[in-house]
Amino acid sequence: MSLSGYILRNAFRNKRRALLTAGSVAVSLFLFVTLQVAMREMTIPPEDAGASLRIAVRNKISLANTLPARQLPLIEKLPGVVAVMPLTFFGGKFKDDESLGFAQFGVDPGKFLALFGEAKIPADQLEAWRTSRDTCIVGKTTADRYHLKAGDRVTLVGTIYPADLELRIAGIYSGTIDDTNMWFHHAYLDEAMGNWGRVGMWWLRAESAGAVPGLLDRINAAFANTSAEVRAETERAFQMSFVSMWGNISILINSICSVVVFTLALVTASTMSMTVRERFRELAVLKALGFRRHQLIACILAESFGLAAAGALAGVGTAAVLFGSGTMTKIFGGMFPAFELTPRIAALAFLIAFLIGVAAIILPARSVTRMSVVEGLRTID
Amino acid sequence: MPPSDPIVSIRKLSKIYRQGEIDVTALDAVSLDIAAGEFLALMGPSGSGKSTLLHIIAGIDRPTSGECFVQGVDVARLNESELADWRNRNVGFIFQTFNLIPVLTAAENVELPLLLTGLSGAQRREMVAAALELVGLSERLHHLPRQLSGGQEQRVAIARALVTDPRLIVADEPTGNLDSESAHDVLEILSSLSRDAGKTVIMVTHDPKAAAFGTRSLHLEKGRLTT
Repeated sequence: MSLSGYILRNAFRNKRRALLTAGSVAVSLFLFVTLQVAMREMTIPPEDAGASLRIAVRNKISLANTLPARQLPLIEKLPGVVAVMPLTFFGGKFKDDESLGFAQFGVDPGKFLALFGEAKIPADQLEAWRTSRDTCIVGKTTADRYHLKAGDRVTLVGTIYPADLELRIAGIYSGTIDDTNMWFHHAYLDEAMGNWGRVGMWWLRAESAGAVPGLLDRINAAFANTSAEVRAETERAFQMSFVSMWGNISILINSICSVVVFTLALVTASTMSMTVRERFRELAVLKALGFRRHQLIACILAESFGLAAAGALAGVGTAAVLFGSGTMTKIFGGMFPAFELTPRIAALAFLIAFLIGVAAIILPARSVTRMSVVEGLRTID
Repeated sequence: MPPSDPIVSIRKLSKIYRQGEIDVTALDAVSLDIAAGEFLALMGPSGSGKSTLLHIIAGIDRPTSGECFVQGVDVARLNESELADWRNRNVGFIFQTFNLIPVLTAAENVELPLLLTGLSGAQRREMVAAALELVGLSERLHHLPRQLSGGQEQRVAIARALVTDPRLIVADEPTGNLDSESAHDVLEILSSLSRDAGKTVIMVTHDPKAAAFGTRSLHLEKGRLTT
């Protein structure tokens, strides 16, 4: 038998307690990493390879204000622009959804892949979409969620615009960071709105990342002092403007995480205190046999670490499997398209487990240090 | 008459406990010599100080004043770490309630003190087997304490006390929790350790029959030796 064997036997002396403690660590750390991943995705939205080339142009007053469609030829002529298309958020309700189940946008199908080249869609479906004004394409996540397929007819009830859209699904796309959206012909929306001549935004692709800063300035300048001044910004900056709408979400989530970690530390400390209190007499015997204080504390620490590490492995491991399989993305209905457990968050969870393992034995270790052999031997089992 | 070659030499040893505002004298200027190979029975009523004396000799308690030399070392002057090492090498402990670790087998319990010695696993196993054979438990190596009788548990405890081959064995009421037959077996073993193996055995007991196994008996009363 080795000392590690002795520690292992002790760790499983009360199997139920060991499992419950490791389980509480696992559940708490799973919750911790889930919250951290959600917060990361809210505050640092994921982006694909083409994001650095995309520019969003919106009304300078606010996102709620539309832009005149006549701006298109002016933008197209600007040096450094590869492609530009209108992009209008429709915000319609689908079926019996209480709230917006997925986002729908009116775009130019002819330019769509020039801007969102990551989207993978069969050529025949793409062609079907491009050639029929009343068609749309749907992201795979949403298609799976609502059991939609090519050929299905869907109705979007307008909540922002006074129009309902009857659409036929031409195809299902995948491969983008966010496969939840529906894209339809902007021209179809124009028609439904009585050819109103407005667009929600312009979305364009620059010829290179280096050209982006200059292009932003040129676009803003092109419409300065007009009736529809614009604000051009990178896709990242545009996304971050949404993040600011979350307000102090980081503080809220971090507060919840702190409470989770603190509670976890109390649970683990309580377990280790009980464990040591029950073994006070045994520890006194070990001291009498010649074991030194630091050796006894090392045994307790190893046991505490073992429980915390087992819990962390279970919690973070479950998170890695669930997040990796896309289960969480489905559970959240596409709200978090990537939901990726990053090495940094996983490492943070293990660090917390490590610190909890140490913190949990501070009080028991103090008792062991102060305990005299005689006093310990008098302890009633 | 003091022994000529003492393994334990105690001079004016006192121990005073503080209980709240009251000082309680557990040992009052005790002087005593114990010869190597002696089987000493310490007797006396509860609270007479016999266990306290045993604990100081074994290096698990400290005196308030006086000297306690064991094998030429004043144990009262050793620090915690030195004392731990010294106990591991020089003292074997036997307790009334056996104090075996319930999750370890008989062999593993006996092996515990050897984990601190730096011996190889094979050497440790050899010594454990020899110690358990000495107490007649060769067939119970892999039994957990709950699978043993009280007498067998105490014999495992004796094997654990012997396994490091200490010169001094201290036993605090070793037969207190045993039936008469098991108690007799345990006392026979302790007696033979003293007689045949030259171990010095100091045993605290209430039982005059147990004390009769010793080569000498001493009585304590209110912290003083009376005989």
